[in-house]
Amino acid sequence: MSEFLLKSLDAEAERILSKYDQKKAATLPLLHLAQDKVGYVTPEVEAWVSKWTEIPVVHVREVVMFYSMYHKKPAGRHHIRFCTTTTCALLGGDKILNHLKKKIGIDNGGVSADGKFSLEEAECLCACEMAPMMQVGDEYHGDLTEKKVDEIIDVISRSPQAAEKS
Amino acid sequence: MEPILSRNFNVPNAWKLSVAESRGAYETARKTLTSMKPDEITQVVTAANLRGLGGAGFPTGKKWQFLPKETTKPIYLVVNADEGEPGTFKDRYILERDPHQMIEGIIISAFAIRSHKAYIYIRGEYVEPFRRLQSAVDEAYAKNFLGKNIFGSGWDLDLVVHRGAGAYICGEETALLNSLEGGKGFPRLKPPFPAIVGLFGCPTIINNVETLACVPPILKNGAEWFSKLGSPGNGGTHLFSVSGHVKKPGVYELPMGTLLREIIEKHAGGLRDGRKLKAVIPGGISAKILTANEIDVKMDYDGLKAAGTMLGSAGVIVMDDTTCMVGALYLACKFFAHESCGQCSPCREGTGWAFKIVKRIYEGQGSVKDLDTLLKIASNMEGRTICVFADAAAWPIQSYITKFRSEFEEYIGRNVKLEMQNVK
Repeated sequence: MSEFLLKSLDAEAERILSKYDQKKAATLPLLHLAQDKVGYVTPEVEAWVSKWTEIPVVHVREVVMFYSMYHKKPAGRHHIRFCTTTTCALLGGDKILNHLKKKIGIDNGGVSADGKFSLEEAECLCACEMAPMMQVGDEYHGDLTEKKVDEIIDVISRSPQAAEKS
Repeated sequence: MEPILSRNFNVPNAWKLSVAESRGAYETARKTLTSMKPDEITQVVTAANLRGLGGAGFPTGKKWQFLPKETTKPIYLVVNADEGEPGTFKDRYILERDPHQMIEGIIISAFAIRSHKAYIYIRGEYVEPFRRLQSAVDEAYAKNFLGKNIFGSGWDLDLVVHRGAGAYICGEETALLNSLEGGKGFPRLKPPFPAIVGLFGCPTIINNVETLACVPPILKNGAEWFSKLGSPGNGGTHLFSVSGHVKKPGVYELPMGTLLREIIEKHAGGLRDGRKLKAVIPGGISAKILTANEIDVKMDYDGLKAAGTMLGSAGVIVMDDTTCMVGALYLACKFFAHESCGQCSPCREGTGWAFKIVKRIYEGQGSVKDLDTLLKIASNMEGRTICVFADAAAWPIQSYITKFRSEFEEYIGRNVKLEMQNVK
């Protein structure tokens, strides 16, 4: 299935490649592009990136493994990165994270049964002024309290549209 | 003090070109490219005492002068927007709220170093800042502030925005180059320095977001003006990110050399009511910690070096008397163990080993002997690796244990895990 999805990205892939002085440099943007479409980095995605960049698949895989943002397995439709570094933890992040885990019923690295949420305990997302904070999909949410976490999750859970794409 | 870097932070939609232009954006670039020679610009930037604001504090003009005088290869300008140092969020403000001032700085700087191609490497998690930045770049292209024959000066410049993918180490400039080239973010051995062998093997200058945002005001108002804003040898102002147990966390633009006490007590609103200061990290998590008695220190590269720590990225993390230092060290060690790129053994093994021991202590299973083991591991990491990540991982271990030893010993004696009990 991902092969069909990837085919639809060929024009965009060509546009990306044209910006770089070397094809290999397009590895990260092509992986982002494909992951956004397919949901995670499948072997087909690796092969597709390898085809465009003309570097061996094994090197593409090495890159995928190195970076935390590439999903090595299916993620939830709303991937949550909860900051667990110093400032967020100093301001009670731990307690709120535990609350979030109960709320969506998963632990670090998990995906909820309905496929809606996945959770990653992240290192500093550089938004310490709004600590404790988390990123849901693309968006940053700060000054978190248990109540605020409930609201954010409830809004997403209720919205059928948002459930399809974060 | 007139803000220079943050002057548009609270102007609605300043990231849009029409608003930015109404605030004077690109006027200096136009004037500079049509009336000055590249080397003259470098001289002005050198005389302004502008120092790299990403953390290392290397004089910017001097860095530019490391480029080979004669080269047949293209010269690249790479912008380090891979902000990742815990406690730091200043570059996000520039990228999100005033990207045009940085783009203008890129145009002037690229012209000064004779580069026709610049890349901005922005951290992957900054999705919204990326969208704004990309839209700002697109708008600048549409008006021919980027592209061919900019401002009719005959100078061409292409600018590509490149997203990272979640690796702290890519903020290290040579790791950033490897990542930009499509590989793992492994730092490179130096020499050769990037100015000689950088991106795609070509001469390359890597500058931080904030550093480049300083360039237009310097060219507009002159080197002497900028230099005088700061302290001797540390020109200009700096964006201080302040977080933790203060009433008003945020980004504060202040002259280089402002006292740390003033930043905490005056600008960040002081500590929360009824609390006392315990410790401060002055320059991002890598910087050695300061105790409550050590905050009468000038916040510039030289002042903090004299105090035995560093300005780093100017990320100030304030800890009050409710903070457990064992917990604080646990957090720092967790971070470094997670982010070590794994290339050099002392760092790969050392950060993991240190984290295991600190975790054991934190969970109430430690012994006093562990503290000495930790200090030994730290000294075996320092200065023994390709990049300074291992040093940065060693400094919190050394400074937290040395400065708060009795608290660590007392904690170990109790044999119970304390939770981070602070609630906002």
